[in-house]
Amino acid sequence: MAEATENVAPLGWSSETSSPFAVSWNKLMMWVFIITDGLLFAGFLAGYGFVRLSSPVWPDQMAVFHISFIALMTFVLISSSATMATAVGAALQGKRPTVARFLLLTVLGGLIFLGMQAYEWTSLIREGARLYSNPWGVPQFSSFFFLITGFHETHVLTGVMILSIIAGRWLKGRCSAEGVVLAGLYWHFVDLVWVFIFTLFYLI
Amino acid sequence: MLRDWSEVRYGVYWRTWFLLLVLTLMMVLLDQASMSRIVLVWILLAAMLMKASLIGAYFMHLRFEKLNLVLMVVVEILLTAAALFFLIAPDGIRILERSQR
Repeated sequence: MAEATENVAPLGWSSETSSPFAVSWNKLMMWVFIITDGLLFAGFLAGYGFVRLSSPVWPDQMAVFHISFIALMTFVLISSSATMATAVGAALQGKRPTVARFLLLTVLGGLIFLGMQAYEWTSLIREGARLYSNPWGVPQFSSFFFLITGFHETHVLTGVMILSIIAGRWLKGRCSAEGVVLAGLYWHFVDLVWVFIFTLFYLI
Repeated sequence: MLRDWSEVRYGVYWRTWFLLLVLTLMMVLLDQASMSRIVLVWILLAAMLMKASLIGAYFMHLRFEKLNLVLMVVVEILLTAAALFFLIAPDGIRILERSQR
């Protein structure tokens, strides 16, 4: 009877050992969320690619953006991902003070990135960029800029809020190592999306 | 799998961070260099995929996860995104050709 019950998997699995992915339910659900959210960005970037291909002209990004500034933003986000990975490693090794320190550094990195993106938006809006028009001749350029970077910023802001809550709970001893791991996965996903945006929208 | 994660040393994260920075710097410098547009695009795409692989493998620990999970993530995101783009790309090119006639 016990064997029959065990054979009910996969719908009935209850531990890491019987999961086909060898991860807990929580982590599997975070991965499912990351995949679906990744496909949302994939849709945006595919739509952007379609418009690029069908447009006879496209603004020169080097003339519109300060690429060195955008590279600095990338540096900040990549660094915050490294501090997050260190926090996750420390959480799994039970080093409580290290986790709190690196979580707060990650939050700081996220806030700096948000500030830099806000500065970039402000600069472009002052130059006349709007959701449906811009001074560079191709209206879709600013539409995709605000859409894609706006969605990414929302994700960064959400990540900063999640990490702040996790850091607070960790300091009070009310957060498990897996909580830090899951928050870390989300934060790295935000970094991963930026890698694609930086290359496809700002450089190519 | 968590026990495998705990065996990872912090040095791995910071080496990954360094590689990501080098790749980013290389992409920015190449973007400003005068070279064939097609060659540049392929180099940038290759560097982008290398950066994504580094983040996925080491920061998101996919390198230490079961192959089922890795395939689920990589196949679903990358292949679906590529299929989506290559299915609609021909229409984009057709629109461009029609507008140039």
